[in-house]
Amino acid sequence: MSFEWIKIPYALLTLFIVANYGFLLTAVMAKIAARVGRRHGIPVWQNYVDLIKNYGLRSSITHGVMFYLGPVFRLTGGVGLLMFVPTIYGSEMFSNMSFAGDLILALYFVFFGSLGMALGAGESGHPHSAIGVTRGLSQVTAAELPFALAVYAVAVQYQTLSVTEIVAAQQGGILHWTLFTNPLAVAAAMLSFLGSMMRPPFDVVLAPQEIPIGPPTEYHSSYLALMQTNRAIFPIAKIVIYMNLFFGGAASWPVFFLKVFLIYLVSVIVGVVFPRFRVEQSIRWFLIWAVPLGVAAILLV
Amino acid sequence: MVSAIYILAVGLGTAFLLGLLRDDWRAGAYGVSLAALALMSLISAGWVWVMAAGDGRAVEILTAGTLPPYAINLRMGLAEAVLTLLINLTGLLSAVYLRDTLFKQGRRALATLLVFTMAACGIVLTRDLFNLFVFFELVAIATGGLVLLSRDQRALAAGFKYLVASQVITVLLLVGIIFAYHATGTLNIDGMAELSARVLQGGALAFFLMFIAIVLDLKPFPANGWALDIYESAHPAFSAMLSAASASAALFAADKLLLIGGPTWLPVATGIGIFGFVGANLFALAQTNDRRLLGYSSVAQVGLVLAVLGQRDLLGDRYLFIAGGILLAHAVAKAGLYWLSGLIEGRELKAWSALQGHPILIFAFASFIALLVGLPPFPGFYAKWELVIALAGEGRLALLGLILFGALLEAGYLFRWFGQALKRERSLEPVAASSFKRAVILSAVAAGWGLGYIWGALSPNGNLLLAVPLLFALVFLALEPLSVRVKNSVAIVGMVAWFLLTLPSYDPLQLIFAAVMLLGGALVLLASYQTQGRRIGFYPSAMLMYAGLAMLILAEDAFSFFAAWESLTIGSYFLILRGQRSEPHALSYMVFSLGGAFLILAGFALAAGGDPLFSLAGLAQVAAPIAPWVFLLLAIGFMTKTAAVGLHIWLPGAHAEAETDVSPMVSGILLKAGLFGLFVLLMAMGGQQLHGIELTHILLWIGALSALIGNLMAAFQEDAKRLLAYSSIGQMGYALFGLAMMNHLGWLMALMFVINHFIYKSMLFLSVGGIAKRTGTRDMYRMGGLITLMPLSFIAVLIGIIAMSGVPPLSGFGGRWIFYNAILTADYRLPMILIFISGPIAFLYLFRLIHTIFLGQLKDEHRRVKEAPFWLVLPQMIFVAFLMVFALVPGLALRRVDAYISQFHPEGALGWEGLTITSAFGYWSPISIMIVVGVIFASLFAWLLFVNRKAQKVKQFNIVFAGERPYRPETTHFAWNFFAPYRKALGFMTEPLVERFWAAVVDVLHASADLLRRLYTGNGQTYAIQLLAFVVVVYLLRTGL
Repeated sequence: MSFEWIKIPYALLTLFIVANYGFLLTAVMAKIAARVGRRHGIPVWQNYVDLIKNYGLRSSITHGVMFYLGPVFRLTGGVGLLMFVPTIYGSEMFSNMSFAGDLILALYFVFFGSLGMALGAGESGHPHSAIGVTRGLSQVTAAELPFALAVYAVAVQYQTLSVTEIVAAQQGGILHWTLFTNPLAVAAAMLSFLGSMMRPPFDVVLAPQEIPIGPPTEYHSSYLALMQTNRAIFPIAKIVIYMNLFFGGAASWPVFFLKVFLIYLVSVIVGVVFPRFRVEQSIRWFLIWAVPLGVAAILLV
Repeated sequence: MVSAIYILAVGLGTAFLLGLLRDDWRAGAYGVSLAALALMSLISAGWVWVMAAGDGRAVEILTAGTLPPYAINLRMGLAEAVLTLLINLTGLLSAVYLRDTLFKQGRRALATLLVFTMAACGIVLTRDLFNLFVFFELVAIATGGLVLLSRDQRALAAGFKYLVASQVITVLLLVGIIFAYHATGTLNIDGMAELSARVLQGGALAFFLMFIAIVLDLKPFPANGWALDIYESAHPAFSAMLSAASASAALFAADKLLLIGGPTWLPVATGIGIFGFVGANLFALAQTNDRRLLGYSSVAQVGLVLAVLGQRDLLGDRYLFIAGGILLAHAVAKAGLYWLSGLIEGRELKAWSALQGHPILIFAFASFIALLVGLPPFPGFYAKWELVIALAGEGRLALLGLILFGALLEAGYLFRWFGQALKRERSLEPVAASSFKRAVILSAVAAGWGLGYIWGALSPNGNLLLAVPLLFALVFLALEPLSVRVKNSVAIVGMVAWFLLTLPSYDPLQLIFAAVMLLGGALVLLASYQTQGRRIGFYPSAMLMYAGLAMLILAEDAFSFFAAWESLTIGSYFLILRGQRSEPHALSYMVFSLGGAFLILAGFALAAGGDPLFSLAGLAQVAAPIAPWVFLLLAIGFMTKTAAVGLHIWLPGAHAEAETDVSPMVSGILLKAGLFGLFVLLMAMGGQQLHGIELTHILLWIGALSALIGNLMAAFQEDAKRLLAYSSIGQMGYALFGLAMMNHLGWLMALMFVINHFIYKSMLFLSVGGIAKRTGTRDMYRMGGLITLMPLSFIAVLIGIIAMSGVPPLSGFGGRWIFYNAILTADYRLPMILIFISGPIAFLYLFRLIHTIFLGQLKDEHRRVKEAPFWLVLPQMIFVAFLMVFALVPGLALRRVDAYISQFHPEGALGWEGLTITSAFGYWSPISIMIVVGVIFASLFAWLLFVNRKAQKVKQFNIVFAGERPYRPETTHFAWNFFAPYRKALGFMTEPLVERFWAAVVDVLHASADLLRRLYTGNGQTYAIQLLAFVVVVYLLRTGL
């Protein structure tokens, strides 16, 4: 695996597909959640409308350099994460920039965007931004733990950290998926997944209904457009990792669309059923329910 | 050579002569006395010279023209020569010191002083029992007289109590001598020694009485209330004589008696001695009066020497070297301290704060304490090394443990005192300005250092005072009058030059540590250019620490390693103590470090099997059942320096309260010494099992727990430097964890942390220090919004926290990547859980650090704050550059070490082909990552610039705030108690259990000291009863009840 120039247009193609799928998918999910609540919901193309509107806004302010760079960090995090993981198994065309690093790179690069975003929002001086960040960081320490344990279990199971090799090991039928060969790890990881999707019961970080809290508070116009693009790309990039590690990966785009949709749907289903946890409650919840599963997974591998 | 009998003759003769002089002819009398004392010293010095230059065979001096036992004989050997020199010099210097008092008191006092000195010499020289008794009597009577020289009202009572006690002793001694004479028909000590069997059989009680009388003269704990009252109330110059001269003479007498007692009585001496050493040191903890404290310390030291006398069967020909080293160090230091106390008006320990502003006297104070504690390069250090090795070699471990415990107690109260003297509010009472007295004190300092040199020359382990790094550090004492700029430049050049000079002798692992400690140290020193003036005391301390570090890396044998370890500990203690509010923290650092050092000493001693020249490589040959214990002792010792959880409580305060440029030295650099030690240990000994438990497994848990607790505590700090300090505990936990994994990548990860932690922690401490300097606070919630005012500091912190958090593309990620690869082959999986959770917690404190300082709302009082001083920013920017380079090409530093580690763990080496680093499990290409991230970032940034080119900068409070407009930064800056929900969830894990544990230990020690010291009621009768009770108890214990 090494770099060739042709990888750049290929990677841009992946990005284009994923971004558009992401715009549609998040809208669909919003629609589903709305329908469950007997509301009408947004049209599926709403994200495109918002994007055009945001780019179209003429008023534009900045609080300083970090503020300006925040959304850039954010979207770099999303795009980078997508680039560091092969999207379609067995396709050289959609292996992206995965030659740069393995699973661990992806795991740690997840934080790149959040950190930059948090710094940018912090410079706005808005206390709600800082509060949102503290909530998010606090929650992520507990929410990431089961996932880290699951990743460790999976890496031990397949004796590799290469995403491609992990997917390769799951080929040959649905029963070869990690979901069936290492159900404890997958269970732990999926609970962790709930914590990272910004949906109830773990959405107090953004607290979207009560007050406009969290990093996005101060951002508007083209900043918001960048962040919105990230909101489409980032969850999918993350789900790609889950899909590759636990659900056999995807050998073609249709399979990719389906699996991503279904994995995403898990968080939506849970989200429409449960009310919201406070931060300390969610920390305890992860430590009590999800972490033991992860511990069991690494001990039994 | 002049016969030694002239020592006695001159002393006694002059004393008589004084009686003939006119009473008002004070100057003349004083001059004659000084001349006599000088002559006596000269004769002794001549004999020392003769003995040392010649074959050292003792010379017999006959009196009355007849051979013993029909006449008294004296003996002058090396030990006698040295001791009489010590006694005479102490007498001479005390006489100089006492000039004003002696002038006032006149010739009677002078005569008494001469008799005292002469009689103490007599005790040393004589080989006749009855003669010994006579000299003891003379010393007792002279003591009674000299006590009265003091201005202290209590001196009279103390002198009386002393006379009561000495009468009891006299009776015991005399009765003993009579019976012994009856049993053997001789009074000659050597003659009696030949008939030892007869004495011990028929005259056991007789010997016991003589022996116990001499022991009582040593003022053994706890039957010594009278002596302590004297130490407390007598004139300090006399206390110096009592402690240095008369105690040494009495010890020598005990030594002579033990010739008669033979092996059966040696354990009794050891028992009494060690009991006194530990007990008196314990009691000293509760003392607040300086002279009484010194009295306890004297009792303790004499006890230690007595214990060593009892070990003479074991020590063989090293006996004199060891006992002499401890005794002389004690004598010089104690005399010096008593003399020093005479310059200070108040008697509280805190009154010594008057010394502030007198650097030379502080240097003297520090030298004396180091002498007493037995730190390098003083004689006690060499002596204790050989003693401990010999004890461990013979398996006398209980005694060894007690000695080390007592020494730790002693170091504890001495350094507490030193800290108070330096850091408490300066006492208003001036230090006495007498140049005589100061000259006397300085001559003691010179004697101490001189003895250090001699003991070094005599030691088979080599002379520390000839070690280039140590000498270089000492040179800075002479350079003190120069300005900071000059000294700093000399220091930097010296460190770099030493690095280049020793470069060829490093293996790749040592090279990493040497680069961090020496080159890194030089780099951190750049920050010191920003201080003004002369900065007295900083450079000798800092250079002592660096000298220790430099010597540590190159040490090949256990002795050099330990000496280097102690040097760096002392140096860093002085450095830490310089911080404004660092007194308690420096003390706890010192106590933990010395405790750790003593464990290391014990570990080496166990491993050495009696060989003082034991090499570090020899650790590999140590076999079970000792090996796991050696491992345990050494590992715990090293972990005090890495501040592993449980032993970590010194670190936050010490690092946080240190000066701006000292924090990176003691954090970024000093902590690595512990890791280096662990590397050395693990490379030599590998894993060890104790009762079936894998010890590295325990280390794994300790490392993981340290990582968790360190990170968690860091998240809850309000003080930026404390936050960084706790973070160090966490980072060292990671490194320890890596080492304890005992596989190739684990070790590589530990090294990665060595480099990374050095770079980013030094950088962060400098930035935070610069900010604290500008804003006048370290509390983060008082800051905020400094990004535009201090942009360079911001960049340093930003790069630092990205690197530390392990987020790609900076170098911290490399550490994490290696970590994941390492754990895939680790034997134990459970401790990983703790590491997994501590990783994200690091984000908590790192974000807090940057957000609450640089982001959020700028405070009104900081609107005019400037960027940190140039010399603080410069090293930060160099560190940023390093971090970038190391992030891009980690192979530069790690590749050779990777190959080197293969010797120990052949499995798991990384592949370094091309741009990609590969392991058995995965791969990582730092440059590709940097390019990919850089290209994406730059493209998006360009896009944003294009669509958002007209963005308007708005004012501070122009934010969306529910229709309101905030106007006070204090209420808008969200910073205090930043992670409140987190505290609710996990706060229970931050309960200071460890601190409570250690506080309880200290409390128990202090409370028992305070309770038991009430034994000393101050009542003469009680003291006499205690004396007799002591005799009875020793007798009962000796005869087995």
